[in-house]
Amino acid sequence: MVYDLIILGGGPAGIAAGIYAARKKLKTLLVAESFGGQSVVAAQINNFIGFKSVSGIEMKNILEEHLRSYEGIEIKEGARVNEIKKSDSGFLVSAGGEFFETKTVLIALGSSYRKLGIPGEKEFEGKGVFYCSTCDAPLMKNKTAVVVGGGNSGFYAVLDLLPHASKIYVLEYGDVFRADPIYVDKAKISGKVEFITMAAAKEVVGEKFVSAIKYEDRQSKEVKELKTDGVFVAIGYAPNSGIVKDLVKINEQGKIIINHQTQKTSLEGIWAAGDITDILYGQINVAIGDAIKAVLNINDYFKKS
Amino acid sequence: MVKIYSTPTCPYCVMAKDYFKKLGVEYQDFDVSIDEKAREELVAKSHQMGVPVIDIDGTIIVGFNRPEIDKALKA
Repeated sequence: MVYDLIILGGGPAGIAAGIYAARKKLKTLLVAESFGGQSVVAAQINNFIGFKSVSGIEMKNILEEHLRSYEGIEIKEGARVNEIKKSDSGFLVSAGGEFFETKTVLIALGSSYRKLGIPGEKEFEGKGVFYCSTCDAPLMKNKTAVVVGGGNSGFYAVLDLLPHASKIYVLEYGDVFRADPIYVDKAKISGKVEFITMAAAKEVVGEKFVSAIKYEDRQSKEVKELKTDGVFVAIGYAPNSGIVKDLVKINEQGKIIINHQTQKTSLEGIWAAGDITDILYGQINVAIGDAIKAVLNINDYFKKS
Repeated sequence: MVKIYSTPTCPYCVMAKDYFKKLGVEYQDFDVSIDEKAREELVAKSHQMGVPVIDIDGTIIVGFNRPEIDKALKA
């Protein structure tokens, strides 16, 4: 059997695409490791249009329920996409140990936490190195934590840690904090947070668990060590384009280069939408709109052929 | 017996618990943000500190990993 369309990804883009594909009666399979995308970890979303305030989980449930109300779409949940290859009918998608044939593909795999890429980071992941502060901040009860990254996501981590940790350090690579002043002020008022700018994280150290982080003072070039129980990495997001980087053109940030009118990638038969693409603004609402554009264009493609 | 070690704010913990509810699998929930003994158990069992940690009859799963959960439930 050959599908008209396989959608890869269960975030807002993938779900929106699924709804439109079902309505256009395209023979569609949606493959998702899980639903909701990176926003499920958000405690509160205040700009998801139509909702004054929802949590990430609530948003995921609303979107998923809408998708599942259509019977015309097949869903394979809990499966990671391993490979996409060209085939006679179009493309062969390998996911969760199964193979699926399809005429077209829409890539909406989104992005995930960007890593520091320093020694000790991988070794101590979960053992004091954390990426999801909403999840793991409560484990820092009465402990010292270091947040790497002085942008908004860094300060979200600080705010998640404030009720729990006894001491928090924020390491920022540049000379100023880029976070919105409202967050920086909240952190300052607490009296628990120490701010360190011009700091390049160098190494996470420990035995079984994290005990310290080494960083270079970029002014004095001196390497300093901070004793800590946890390192929360909050330096933004990186696109999940690893499995398609040899298939479609990506830019220097690893984002898939698309035609912004049609969402087409460099390879005929493959479209992409959402945070994995070279859009300027990574927003839930934008990802939804772009995914819809993609499906409408895919539908036009079938009408023409 | 299924045990889940979680924090109240962790979305993947909620997703895992919702999944067990959907399957009709009974579970015991330990909030490691307030339960110190449970926090020690979590570390002893999983050799790490992140949540959720799921214990399915002795099989330890870190994170909301559905294929692993399905496998452990079938065993």
